[in-house]
Amino acid sequence: MKGSRRVLFFVGSSFIIYLLISLLSYITGFTWAPFKKVNLVSDIIKNNSPTKKDTLVIADTLANTPSPEIIAKTNYNLQLYKQAHLITNFNIDTTKPALAVFLQKLHDLKTGKKRKVRIAYFGDSMIEGDLLTKTLRELLQKEFGGDGVGFVPITSLASQFRQTVNSSYSNGWDRESFKTDGIKNQLFLSGYLFRGHGDWVQMKDETIIDSAVLIEKSLLCGFYDKPITIKINDADVVINPNKIFNRIVTSTDLERSMKLFVADDKLPVYGLSFESESGIMVDNFSFRGISGVEFSKIDSSFLSTIAEENPYDLIVFQYGVNVLFRPNDMNFNWYAHILKPVAKKIRTCFHSADFLMVSTADRAFKYDTGYASAKGIDSLVRIQASIAYEIGATFYNQYQSMGGRNSIVDWANQTPALANKDYVHPNSKGAAILGKYFFEALMNDYRKFTNQSVKIAPNY
Amino acid sequence: MPTFDLHLFVQQFIYDPKNPLLFNNGFFVCFFTLFICLYYSFRNNFIVRRYIFCLFSLYFFYKASGYFVGLVIISAMFNYFVSNAIYRQQNKRTKMLLLLLSIFFNVGILFYFKYTNFFISISNSLFTTHFSTLNILLPIGISFFTFENLSYTIDVYRDEFKPASKFSDYLLFLSFFPKLVMGPIVRAHDFIPQINLPFTISDKDFTKGFYLIISGLIKKLIISDYLTVNFVNYIFDDPSRYTGLENLFAVYGYAIVIYCDFSGYSDIALGIARWLGFTIPPNFLSPYQSKNITEFWRRWHISLSSWLRDYLYFPIGGNRKGTVATYFFATLFFAGSFFAEVKFLQLSYFVSTAITLGLLLLFMLPSIIEKNKKGVATNLNLLTIMLLGGFWHGANWNFILWGALHGIALAVHKIWMLLTGKIVSNVKISWWYKAIMVTVTFHFVCFTWIFFKAADFATATTMLHQILHDFSFDVWGAFYKNYSPVLAMMLIAFLLHAIPDSLADKVLERFTKMPMVAYVAVFFMFVVLYGFFKSAEPVLPIYLQF
Repeated sequence: MKGSRRVLFFVGSSFIIYLLISLLSYITGFTWAPFKKVNLVSDIIKNNSPTKKDTLVIADTLANTPSPEIIAKTNYNLQLYKQAHLITNFNIDTTKPALAVFLQKLHDLKTGKKRKVRIAYFGDSMIEGDLLTKTLRELLQKEFGGDGVGFVPITSLASQFRQTVNSSYSNGWDRESFKTDGIKNQLFLSGYLFRGHGDWVQMKDETIIDSAVLIEKSLLCGFYDKPITIKINDADVVINPNKIFNRIVTSTDLERSMKLFVADDKLPVYGLSFESESGIMVDNFSFRGISGVEFSKIDSSFLSTIAEENPYDLIVFQYGVNVLFRPNDMNFNWYAHILKPVAKKIRTCFHSADFLMVSTADRAFKYDTGYASAKGIDSLVRIQASIAYEIGATFYNQYQSMGGRNSIVDWANQTPALANKDYVHPNSKGAAILGKYFFEALMNDYRKFTNQSVKIAPNY
Repeated sequence: MPTFDLHLFVQQFIYDPKNPLLFNNGFFVCFFTLFICLYYSFRNNFIVRRYIFCLFSLYFFYKASGYFVGLVIISAMFNYFVSNAIYRQQNKRTKMLLLLLSIFFNVGILFYFKYTNFFISISNSLFTTHFSTLNILLPIGISFFTFENLSYTIDVYRDEFKPASKFSDYLLFLSFFPKLVMGPIVRAHDFIPQINLPFTISDKDFTKGFYLIISGLIKKLIISDYLTVNFVNYIFDDPSRYTGLENLFAVYGYAIVIYCDFSGYSDIALGIARWLGFTIPPNFLSPYQSKNITEFWRRWHISLSSWLRDYLYFPIGGNRKGTVATYFFATLFFAGSFFAEVKFLQLSYFVSTAITLGLLLLFMLPSIIEKNKKGVATNLNLLTIMLLGGFWHGANWNFILWGALHGIALAVHKIWMLLTGKIVSNVKISWWYKAIMVTVTFHFVCFTWIFFKAADFATATTMLHQILHDFSFDVWGAFYKNYSPVLAMMLIAFLLHAIPDSLADKVLERFTKMPMVAYVAVFFMFVVLYGFFKSAEPVLPIYLQF
């Protein structure tokens, strides 16, 4: 056969076979996933048959956990969780503030009282690199005063690129974390513990604008049975970390950087902290890939010591995106089942802090029709809200605030993009928007608080 | 019950900006089958055959780019008439004027569509003017067909080629659908003589065409798209989220992606052309096997680099002399690099001056060593074509920087050859020397891809920062666990790339006698493989935007 006839014959026969298979698969209803996507006639066929109900992928026994029983409380309504831009304690009277205790402390700052108000912002990769918290810190410090980036871990398992801190360190630091198998030691709220064998770390806080403000630099570390010599900025310093958790102020001056050298690997080191003497601080505790239940690994007495030594006034708990790791999951009762005790424990240990549960942001998966929000995202957000409701905490719906269903798809596709093309992570522009939204929600709550205090104490 | 939808069916024939016609659309399968049947039926009637070809090509372009098809027709008409006028004109001066008119027209169109907004923004930032940018859509393929028009009229002007006597010949040369939207840039003197030849192709042509099409489809649709969607885009989107190791692999990944994407599409074009009786010279020759950067440019996007050589490098002086253009672009480059060092890298005037003078010295060094003045002009001419070559890719500083880096590298390679010529002459053929050189060249090319791909300069520097300052093998375990299929795909791609081209040809010869059933079976194996890997949204070829 001549080459030109071979071309005709090949193209013709392949086309006929291809067309026949494509048509047959519609006529017989036989589908095979790899072929379905390349079916020649799929663009001109309308499928009228009702779509099959999504089959739940039940891979673990926990998926069969019954839904948590939600006890109705008078004057409280769980459904308030659906509202965007609202921090709610589920009280039906939405003119009342949700975070009253915390807001009183903020108000103290606003009215000139010298004190520290500290926020611990927990999260997964969504806040990695100080994303979201960077904006939140900036806005809060502008509004209520305060300087400093707060807590910074020695290093991190994942990329530790953050614009707010400039750090360098020696490579010998040993690291234990939530991901270390059979961990027995006390991990800090960051999920990390470091040990140096003649190792150093140097950090410079890049957030401080006011060059006249005094910055308190501290070492956060665990227990050591006797006084121990470490080096701070190349000078020997003797410290006595005799509690299971210690916050040791190493200097308070105009210096914005600090170098730490640790020779003895028996001293558990968590990180450094940069804070002004008064004002609001936001500590970023990000750990990639976790769902929040990992905090069950930290025992209550340790948490209580942290609460005493390094008190917090607001705990923000933002997880969920890693729970949504399969596109077809709809049932997250198992998550409620294991997260509730953890949230309760943190709430109890940090009893002087308000507890604010922040829902997952939107995340999308690739379905047959293209990228779309995870099918189960509404039920996950509801589960997160119900935990907050049950333990008497507050809730903020980040998913609705960023725009609800498919907002991550819009964010990733718009120019300039607000999210990465993994359809999970808002980029720095998007995270700044989330930070601003969160700040505005806090300020709304604060305004409710001040309006009330005006009513209660008109001469205030 | 699934039913045939007439409305959807009719819509298939209309241009859809979200889904331009590419070789991997189902529509193309039908389009090509119908075309080949008609083309074969009228294979002996050259006129009808040519018109069928033109119509299908223009329709293909309409499905890929909408009403911009009008631009192709207008541009073909203009160049057809002007080139014939140039050919007939005896008066040298008028001939020159006609050529200038043609250059003005072609480059003018390209500039309007591609560079207007770029120059508006430069004007706004340099001269604080307040022009608002225009809403101009870039017609697909314009960079390719403009260069084809230019080479055509210039060749006619140089008396190297007798212009096409029939308009349809010229229209077909310009709109030939396999290469219209993404190249390769075809030369008229290679192509036009093939238009009116009998449609006879050998069994070998069939096999080679089949191989080019299937391997091109695999490169583009399976390797490149898979790596783009599942890895490379994540990292380049937000490099600060990832460690140095992940960033480094993303750069390697992108090196594969851009090669497989572009060369894959070129191969399909070459294969289809081969099946239709046209031989188009190869556009890529395993570029990552290059042992130095000069060789890289002989193997990468050959149709563009040879175009730049023939129609830009030689006219501005080549390796003989410098011209006004040489010194104009060289001055722009040195002034630009000084400005960039001060403004973007925030270096002091002293350091910036020192670096700029250092760069200047780099371009002069070869001729100082050789004691030959001409060498300076050669180097600056090379720099000029690299800068313009970068700029051809798009109105973006990243591309200019990419071109500048390659221009500098060509100069460095010259110095290296002059300095080490005698020393390495003994080891030059040893495998380890070659291996080192291939590795160094590949890494340099990868380095420049960072600027080529990154959305802006800041993203590129973040990526470099991560690779240089946040690199640790600790994350290998987690990385491997997450991305093992991606790593496997990258490994396959590199292994395939390492196969010498001569070996592929030898193997192909053995398959020439393969029965038709086997070809059909291979094709369906590919279809299923594609179905397995196909992403929900089409991944548009990278070079479609250039």
